[in-house]
Amino acid sequence: MTSDAHERPVHRVGRLADFPPGTHRVVEVGKRSIGVFNIKGVLHAIPNLCPHQTGPLCESPATTGTLSATKESDWRPEWVHDGEIVICPWHGMEYHVPTGQCLAWPNIRLRTYELVVEHDVVSIRL
Amino acid sequence: MQSQAEPRANRRERLEDVLVVDTDVHVHETPGALLDYCDLPWRKALEAIKDIPERYLDIPGFSPGESIGGYQAKWPTGHSYTRMVLTREQMRLELDELHVNLAILFPDNLLKLAVLTQDEYPAALARAYNAWLVDQWCEPALGLLGAIVACPQLPEDAAREIERYADDPRIVGVYLPCAGVDPLWGHRRYDPIHRAAEAAGLPVLLHSVTVTHPVYPFNNHGFDTELGRHALSHTFSIMANLTHMVTTGVPVRFPELRIGSFEAGITWVPFLMNRLDKEYLEKRRDVPFLTERPSHYLKRYFYATQPVEEPEDLADMAKVIELFDGEDSTVFASDWPHHDFDHPMKVAQIPLAPEVRRKVLGENALRLFGIDASGRRT
Repeated sequence: MTSDAHERPVHRVGRLADFPPGTHRVVEVGKRSIGVFNIKGVLHAIPNLCPHQTGPLCESPATTGTLSATKESDWRPEWVHDGEIVICPWHGMEYHVPTGQCLAWPNIRLRTYELVVEHDVVSIRL
Repeated sequence: MQSQAEPRANRRERLEDVLVVDTDVHVHETPGALLDYCDLPWRKALEAIKDIPERYLDIPGFSPGESIGGYQAKWPTGHSYTRMVLTREQMRLELDELHVNLAILFPDNLLKLAVLTQDEYPAALARAYNAWLVDQWCEPALGLLGAIVACPQLPEDAAREIERYADDPRIVGVYLPCAGVDPLWGHRRYDPIHRAAEAAGLPVLLHSVTVTHPVYPFNNHGFDTELGRHALSHTFSIMANLTHMVTTGVPVRFPELRIGSFEAGITWVPFLMNRLDKEYLEKRRDVPFLTERPSHYLKRYFYATQPVEEPEDLADMAKVIELFDGEDSTVFASDWPHHDFDHPMKVAQIPLAPEVRRKVLGENALRLFGIDASGRRT
């Protein structure tokens, strides 16, 4: 990765209309398979590769929320991050798409790709 | 199976370059699929349920009882919890993706055969399944070999089935259903099965599944969560059945019988050996037929890796294998296509010496099943 962000190559992956809110798609950029998500109008991109056992993470049919339980909730479950969680079809590992954070393994955080939208064209800057 | 390139001493062999024997994959049998293979009057019972919409591993009159979280709130998920394989061609394609050369076929629904409360009916199901498996699935040329199911409710009939397939090149083992089995395997009522398997040179293969069945060692009705039910029901079942086999003297009564454990992981193996050895010091007279400590006999048996434990430091798994002298008795299994399957890469990542890795991924399984690297019975 070069230090000058403007020199990093930009790859067109579709039109904005191809990514309606609440949906996601897998796109191929060179040898990379990348999941592009539209969560409440904001685009996010993460690798379509679960670091657990290399499952096709973003081929999951739909994002969901997840359950959290804290002292503040008296350790009772609460539904959180609605629409922001992708669950790997292979083994069910959960990831928070906007941050790439793996929920079961705190030390794993997926890289997130920078997305560029210009004139309704969506591109990924590698 | 050797790589063309000169292997560097410190380079891990690619999965494509080693023999991978997958000791546990699952075919999908339904009441309708077994119809033509089932004797009357039991065929009529299958006809009566063949059009019931199928729930995964939960068909009334066939595989009763929820196995995947039906006792708790069902949250939305993208996890493919109900993958199934319907033909041998599909199986071969999918196993190619996993770099598997040879695979041993187990059932889906009949994982619960022992839960059925009758005798003649589960025996008829076992006969139908075995005939269907051989006819529709087993194909040594495709690397697909079968384990016939032994019906615990009618051991004499199971023994006849073992004799029927004793010399069949497509059959390499006898699957012993563990979920809900009562009494536990090892009981003398099962000796016809032990005897027939030993005579046929076929290993017996212990495999459980999650059932909520108020019989030790499941007691799953006590758990709030599927995590608890699933984590312990497989492992406790295998531990209980193996303990009963050793403490009823199966290893001395049937010294040539090979035994394998499936879908229970492996980290419990050192625990069970140490625990039984400790008990033996005080209670040897309970098992006067054992002339060695229990671990001596357990070390003769085989332990399949799936669902392989994944500690943060995978070197811990190398240590676990060392703790039970598992270099020659640990065998890879994927459990494809089930929700908790393992890709062989995870087992290959355990930092083992190259020759030990090859044993675990494939060579040990050849001894367990009595086959060569092309799947031919030896």
